[in-house]
Amino acid sequence: MRLLHAPFEAEAHTVRRPLLRPLLAVAVAMLVLVALGRWLELRSEALGALGRPLQGAAVHGGLIALGWIIALGGQPGWQGPALRLAAALLGAFALSRLGAWGSASHALLPLMLVWEGSHHPALRRIGLLVPENPRSLLLGLASGAFLGGHLLVSTSQTLGYAVRLPGGGAYLGAVAYDVGANALSAEWLFRGALFSHWWHRWGFWGAAVASTSLGLMRYLLDPWLPRTVEVGAGAVFYLAALGLCASALRAWSGSLLPGYLASLAFFAAYRMLVAW
Amino acid sequence: MVTAQLSLLLALTGVIVWAGDGAMVSLRHLYLLPTLWAAFASGAPGGCLAGLLAGFLQAPLVLPWIEGTGLTASAVDGLVALATPLASGWVVGHLRDQSRARARRLGALLEIQQGLARDGPLDLRLEEVAERMRVALGAERAGLVVGTGGRPAVVSAPPGARLDARSAMAWTLRGGGPVTSRDLAGDERFGEAEPPGPAPRRGLVLPLDSGAGRVGALALEWRGELTPGMRVAAHEMAMHLALGIENARLLLLQRRFALELEDKVLAATERLRELDRAKSDFLSVVSHELRTPLTALQGFSELLLSRSVPPEQARRFIGHLHSEAERLGRIVTELLDLSRIEAGRPEALRREAVDLGEMVERNLELFAESHPRHRFRWGPAGGLAPVAADRDALDRVLKNLLSNAVKYSPRGGAVTVTAGPAPGLDRMIELAVEDEGVGIPAAALPRIFDKYVRVPDPDTATARGLGLGLALVKALAEAHGGSVAVESRPGQGSRFRVLLPGWPSEF
Repeated sequence: MRLLHAPFEAEAHTVRRPLLRPLLAVAVAMLVLVALGRWLELRSEALGALGRPLQGAAVHGGLIALGWIIALGGQPGWQGPALRLAAALLGAFALSRLGAWGSASHALLPLMLVWEGSHHPALRRIGLLVPENPRSLLLGLASGAFLGGHLLVSTSQTLGYAVRLPGGGAYLGAVAYDVGANALSAEWLFRGALFSHWWHRWGFWGAAVASTSLGLMRYLLDPWLPRTVEVGAGAVFYLAALGLCASALRAWSGSLLPGYLASLAFFAAYRMLVAW
Repeated sequence: MVTAQLSLLLALTGVIVWAGDGAMVSLRHLYLLPTLWAAFASGAPGGCLAGLLAGFLQAPLVLPWIEGTGLTASAVDGLVALATPLASGWVVGHLRDQSRARARRLGALLEIQQGLARDGPLDLRLEEVAERMRVALGAERAGLVVGTGGRPAVVSAPPGARLDARSAMAWTLRGGGPVTSRDLAGDERFGEAEPPGPAPRRGLVLPLDSGAGRVGALALEWRGELTPGMRVAAHEMAMHLALGIENARLLLLQRRFALELEDKVLAATERLRELDRAKSDFLSVVSHELRTPLTALQGFSELLLSRSVPPEQARRFIGHLHSEAERLGRIVTELLDLSRIEAGRPEALRREAVDLGEMVERNLELFAESHPRHRFRWGPAGGLAPVAADRDALDRVLKNLLSNAVKYSPRGGAVTVTAGPAPGLDRMIELAVEDEGVGIPAAALPRIFDKYVRVPDPDTATARGLGLGLALVKALAEAHGGSVAVESRPGQGSRFRVLLPGWPSEF
């Protein structure tokens, strides 16, 4: 029992490593690369094909890098994995331009993230481990499926959006994007790094609300999200529910995996909307 | 139960869908029933989940209605109805959780008080109480240390846990305040790095302060959440535990005191009985001892008065009369000494430099004449310094010791007297009288210098005496600023050592 045996120094000062500088550096790099990608997309005919992948890799690679910095508490060691994952993301986005099978390369990203994370035992702190209770995986899938199913029923009933059955290259490409970029980077940063970091300080509700709010902001700022009121309201409603649900799963199971599965199930349903 | 609640929600939705839009207005409030049921049964999580589910189930029915009519009053009413189950579930569930937690805390407090008031070793009771507290507070681990300063004792801790003098617990025991850690693995105030876990490990060390001071400290570790309510509960329980420990300690002290008092009363009663018995024996002995010389005095004086006795025989009779009168005088002196001892008035001593050797030799000559079966030896150690004593008192001490040695050596044997500087004691002279008599049983040794005490022995049953000789020796030795001690082995003899102060000019 640590309180009984570990040496304790009441007046010890907590050494706070500077987090702000690397976070700012990554954020600036993200913005620069997104701007560069956009510029390439708009201006350069020859390099235009690289513009969109560069933006995607910059955003999701940047989110993963931010999560890595927070997870390691500002300690060095995040740069290598973050750069390798960003490069892999760039490759996956570039391959996805070639078709659905190219998009499938996104599926390698979670494995690569796990492999990179296995060298850092400190990442157990953010839930990079297999849950002790396998039922939490089923619960994650069920929660995401319920929210996704509700989304389909609700939007088809109220807004008249058509729902298509899974299948087809576009659908598979979108799901692969969720697996290797969208859901992965969101769970890694918002549930993994931020929720875990704040959970230690503020307790569950404070951490869940703060990390879910930031996650919502990230989706609402997404320039590719359709700019209509009903889509915005729906995103707020469902992504808030999904974020809180994933936070609860993270706290209950100790692992990021159930929340990740919930996100995948939800987005798999979301991609069935024809409007998308 | 969860299945029943879920079924009720789905059934209600089915009825509303089947009945159409009109039914929605009146039936939607029924969603509160399964929500409140879940809240009562499972608390805030159950209430929230059921409320959320009710909201989700209503949404596809309410939203088209809003979509069709716009944000009218009835649309707002619909939105409120959508949120009501969630809010109700949360509020009712939260209240239920609070009341349950309060009831659990009260139950735990009662159990703690009961546990501490039970009979049995305090350590075991405290271990049970600490475990009960751990369960009531939902903690993963608990450690209880009782006692502060140099002797803290771990009465309850997880297997293998030990108390380190540099730990947070020891810091609190030494007088520090409570220690709170939001995450034990990442808290830099703690040494010995620990691998991080997926959930924060909260830690709390609470001092156990009773009105009389700090009686120990309680350490608790949680995995995951530590709400302010739980923290308050932990503080309350620690306060009760401290008072309970103090009360239990006082009760133990009281019981121990009562037992000691009972033992003392029993011992005193027994001592009084012994004293009463000894006094009765003493009266009987005194009567006998007085009657014997009186009878002799009466008999011989009557003979001399009533008959004409030849001069030789008359002289012998007068000798008998003289010795019996001397004996009577000794008895009276002893009785007077006894009276002084009992009244707490020590004899007034006239201290002078007494040549112990000369006194011993004179007494040994007298005893050798009257006790031919005994061999008397005298061994002064080197040049014997004079002692600072009252000559008469010292003489009585010596005579009593010699008389005792002779009396309790009924078969004869050597009586050895030695004197010399007391080993290890400055300016003290040791006078020792050793016999080869019956000795004294070990059980009788502590009382041998008490008044009226006569050690029963079949070989010495006929020995005369009042049981005052050794009491007088002790009283006189102590009146001189000295002491007396005895060593004895039953069947082999006894050795009495008297310490007396030497005459100052000789040192």
